Amino acid sequence: MTPSLLFQRLRRAIWTWKQPLTQQPSERTAPISDLFIWRASKDWQTSFELIDIPSLFCDYPHTIPRNVTIFFFDDKGRYCLEKRIPVLPHQRQTLNISSLVGESHGEVGTFAVFHADIPRAVTDMGSFLTERGYVSYRYQQAPLQAYVHGNYDAIARKSDHTFERLGVTGWLPRQYCLQHAMQNPSYYEFGLVNPTNKVQSFTCQWISLLSGKLLSHQIVKLPPQGMHLIHFPINQSEPARAVIQSRLVMARPLVFRIQNSKLDVFHG
Amino acid sequence: MSYYPLLKVSGAQGWVTLCNFSPNNWEAGATRNQLVNVTWCADDVWITACLGTLEVGKTRTVTAQDLQGLVPDSALPLLSLTQNPLPPQSPRLPKLDGVKTATPAWRASLGLSTLQAQTSYQGEMDPFPAPASLLTFGPFVQFGAEINNYLILLNLESSPSPRTDTLMIYDAHHQALKGQFDVHNNQANVIPLDGLGFHSTDLPLFVCRTMAAIPLYFSRTADGNFLSLEHTHPPASLVVHGKRWEAQKILKNRWFEKVNPKVNP
Repeated sequence: MTPSLLFQRLRRAIWTWKQPLTQQPSERTAPISDLFIWRASKDWQTSFELIDIPSLFCDYPHTIPRNVTIFFFDDKGRYCLEKRIPVLPHQRQTLNISSLVGESHGEVGTFAVFHADIPRAVTDMGSFLTERGYVSYRYQQAPLQAYVHGNYDAIARKSDHTFERLGVTGWLPRQYCLQHAMQNPSYYEFGLVNPTNKVQSFTCQWISLLSGKLLSHQIVKLPPQGMHLIHFPINQSEPARAVIQSRLVMARPLVFRIQNSKLDVFHG
Repeated sequence: MSYYPLLKVSGAQGWVTLCNFSPNNWEAGATRNQLVNVTWCADDVWITACLGTLEVGKTRTVTAQDLQGLVPDSALPLLSLTQNPLPPQSPRLPKLDGVKTATPAWRASLGLSTLQAQTSYQGEMDPFPAPASLLTFGPFVQFGAEINNYLILLNLESSPSPRTDTLMIYDAHHQALKGQFDVHNNQANVIPLDGLGFHSTDLPLFVCRTMAAIPLYFSRTADGNFLSLEHTHPPASLVVHGKRWEAQKILKNRWFEKVNPKVNP
């Protein structure tokens, strides 16, 4: 091995050794879910496309009712409520998440979807069933919903009904640089979620794409399971890019972009 | 570094915004100015043209309009960033020498616009092995008056030789065939999903037995005022850790058999 290659490997090891993207649940059959962001207000409606994932892997007797449990958390990561929803094998159920969470838990938070049955085909491979499915948002009664997929294996549910957060932090601060040009006139909201067991600090920077200078920054501290929407209007300012610094291995935001009351939503 | 396909759908303009800055501060090291290229497939060969240089820290948006007269309408334009020039012609898809990252991958904004709205996702594309297969469940069809839904099946292979597969679309519950379409390699195949008889509780299943692809779903209102674009996961994303590719194989075999027991996957 050349000294240069050795140096490269050592350099990479500082950032990757014992720092996986997500950790494994402590129980072999624990279901995993993303911490999806819900929004419920006069302007926002959230839906979730529920698919019976276990039945995609194997057949279950039709005579036994099966279900998923959806847990709702507020923006501070506090438990709000849970709903058991019967599943329909090989069908699509569009759940109105805003209606399920109701009006007494604020306007934003997270939810997790746990399947009750874990197929042998999954556990035999040493794998875990994970719900990283599809959320849609409707803004201001638009005729169309904007879809976005889940992207993180954030939380597991243990057999004693407690939760295990699976997010991993590194030793050094890391930057997540969104590869997107924020152009005016648009209104941006960045949804950040803390999938770890400790309070995490996020520094969000907006950097000019013209000059490279820092235009603005904001620091938010999120409790475990907490989430926050950071607002960035870009009406009169220069085109910009966003950089999110934290100790998370990957602090990938959910991005809401609103232009002329039209919504676009995507993951970093 | 990956390629970034410029999407094409009737009634909407495709665009790609390339970024010459790393998606994180620990994988890429120092970056430098990079060449902006467009590559496309024509007559059994890959052709590349250089569109200029992108400075460090900058972005550049390339639209379908920018490529008019350069890339044939029938070809899928593939944007890329490289440190060295690509060959003008190549019998295989050129390997890109740009900086590669994994957490996350070096991405671009891939979008579609009308005069009134735009929609995008953060994506990248690497060549699929050939042959390979596709199986995905797509619950993105939206219903309502004046709403149009499309599947955009994106394929990219190293070989420029044209080949065709059949996309089979089923209702997963009854395993009923709803439609079948010819799809081509190295293309963005646009399949209209309206008129296939799907209802709001149907779970569409998309199967290609010899061609892998990225399945994108584009919905729009007829007046172009509202748009939505997103892709579904491959089956391997239904599980994490362990031998997830084996789990994917099990799931694919099960569903290939379910929808057509007479054909060996």
